[in-house]
Amino acid sequence: MLLPWEYGVRNLMRRPLRTLMTLFALTTVITLVFVVVGFLRGMERSLSISGDEQVAWVFSMLAEENIETSAIEASIPSLLTSSIGSTFNRFDVDYVSPELFLGTRVTLPNQKSGFGLVRGVTVTAPLVHRKVQLVSGSWPQKNEILVGRLAGTKLGSHDGLLKVGDVIEFEGASWTVSGHFQADGSLYEAELWCRLEDFQMATKRQDISLVALQVKTPSAMSEVQLFCKERIDLELTSISESEYYAELREFFQPLRTLAWVVVWLVAAAGVFTGLNMMYGAVAGRGREIATLQAIGYRRRAIVISVLQEGLLLAAAASLVAGVLALVLIDGWAVRFTMSAFRLRIDGEAIVVGCLIGLLVGVLGAVPPALRSLRVDVATGLKAI
Amino acid sequence: MALVEIRNITKSFRKGEETIIPLDNVSLDIHEGEFVSLMGPSGTGKSTLLNLVSGIDRPTSGQLVVGGVEITGLSRSKLADWRAANLGYIFQTHNLIPVLTAYENVELPTLLLKISAAERRQRVRVALEAVGLTDRAHHYPRQLSGGQEQRVGIARAIVAHPKIVVADEPTGSLDSETSEQIQILLERLNRELGITLLMVTHDSELSRMARRQLHLDRGKIKELASENQPVSVSAGGA
Ligand SMILES: Nc1ncnc2c1ncn2[C@@H]1O[C@H](COP(=O)(O)OP(=O)(O)OP(=O)(O)O)[C@@H](O)[C@H]1O
Ligand SMILES: [Mg+2]
Repeated sequence: MLLPWEYGVRNLMRRPLRTLMTLFALTTVITLVFVVVGFLRGMERSLSISGDEQVAWVFSMLAEENIETSAIEASIPSLLTSSIGSTFNRFDVDYVSPELFLGTRVTLPNQKSGFGLVRGVTVTAPLVHRKVQLVSGSWPQKNEILVGRLAGTKLGSHDGLLKVGDVIEFEGASWTVSGHFQADGSLYEAELWCRLEDFQMATKRQDISLVALQVKTPSAMSEVQLFCKERIDLELTSISESEYYAELREFFQPLRTLAWVVVWLVAAAGVFTGLNMMYGAVAGRGREIATLQAIGYRRRAIVISVLQEGLLLAAAASLVAGVLALVLIDGWAVRFTMSAFRLRIDGEAIVVGCLIGLLVGVLGAVPPALRSLRVDVATGLKAI
Repeated sequence: MALVEIRNITKSFRKGEETIIPLDNVSLDIHEGEFVSLMGPSGTGKSTLLNLVSGIDRPTSGQLVVGGVEITGLSRSKLADWRAANLGYIFQTHNLIPVLTAYENVELPTLLLKISAAERRQRVRVALEAVGLTDRAHHYPRQLSGGQEQRVGIARAIVAHPKIVVADEPTGSLDSETSEQIQILLERLNRELGITLLMVTHDSELSRMARRQLHLDRGKIKELASENQPVSVSAGGA
């Protein structure tokens, strides 16, 4: 038989100030847990993009996977088209996209500047990158720029800048925003796209960084690899988009582990807060606990009652923290050198955050509950 | 058969090198419906004996049969269940739960019984009525006087219809006038409701209320007076 819930609830009201302070501390802790879990969810989502198995990036061997430093001759795309039989082709258009990709300092309309990722592309780019979709405005014309959904975030600007018609500057030229695109959460969303020839003009380059091409079947990827291997003179290498994302995931793995370590450290701080409060609460209740046992309540009932108290407090804190997370944290932007993503407080983040919160409550209450039973009943009845 | 059969009970405490033996081979029978008082100098083991009969402490040796159950052999949780069904405990300081109202305090033992909600309400009502506190049912302990608190404590001790009610100096922390009210109440509960009472007290006046008076000193029990036939009392060891 258990003690009534009201007993736990009212016990919390016994020392309202202390309870309130603990509630505040626990809420802070659980909110922090939400921040990190939201960060993890956001990151996982942006990394969950598996990449297109049929899209290969061909770039310079010397760049060692850092595509920004890659430089290849502008003639390579046509050479690839003619040499690789399984290049995807539709209505006589080869799905081959020459691209110049650079990180550069971008000056925003408010004169602030940030580090932006700019991709000079041709009209074949949206064919090869199937996930890219125009969501507003139009494809860029001369010295115009198409803005990825997270590009503003990447540049450290708040939403509202980079509207259609806004003018930004980079590489010594002015660029007018012509529209916006999204790409299913993939890294492209952090980029600014302009016409290849305009970008070449601005950067005074004739070469390109890479060729993105779509092959007919995933197995045809080997044909691209073979081409790179055979034409040693061109010093080319290739990677499929899906391989690239897999490597990216691996690259971020330590960061994810670290984030989880932070979650557990923060949670541990919460446990100590709970312990502090519950030890204090139970310490003054020795005689009461002995009385309950004398009446006939089993030790288990008393432990559960103390746990209920901790759980109740943690549940309240989780609730407040969950609401705070949804209202304040959800959508917070995080910037990286290579990309940007938003903190996501989705259903899963809420569940994980609240479970950790409740766990904190239970762990904070177990030792005090057990401590309260260490004194035998006869002695406990004499306690002051 | 006696309700409580205490057979050759010895209880010793070890305090460092020293061993204290407050109860030395004590035997005692208490019959149903009796009102027994236990007096004796401080530190002689009265509370210890009460706690043994209540099953909240265990004897070092000897047997304790209450209502036909040998309680020395019960596990800790079985003993808790046994107390819930068979024992009422009146404490020196009422020991009410401060966050529960008088009603809820009295209700607490009944939550351990397998009875209907209606039956529970009825029992709590009757118990509060018996101690004359129906009008204070929804007061918290801090809103009650010392005497009222003790009466709630008594209601709580009788509400589950225990076989035996023990009281450890039930008037020990009350003024003389309030003590008298409690005395009268206890006597009435015994006489009118037939509740078996084992009470420790330092108050000789209160002790005289009891129909049977015992004296504990140096580990042995002596029968002082008995309204009824003296029932088998033996101070063992001799
Ligand atoms: N847990 C314990 N550990 C060691 N000694 C104990 C313990 N409990 C009781 N004692 C000793 O046993 C003896 C009897 O104690 P008890 O509390 O039963 O006395 P009492 O007759 O109720 O006294 P009082 O009238 O003052 O309440 C005392 O000498 C006490 O010091
Ligand atoms: Mg005592």
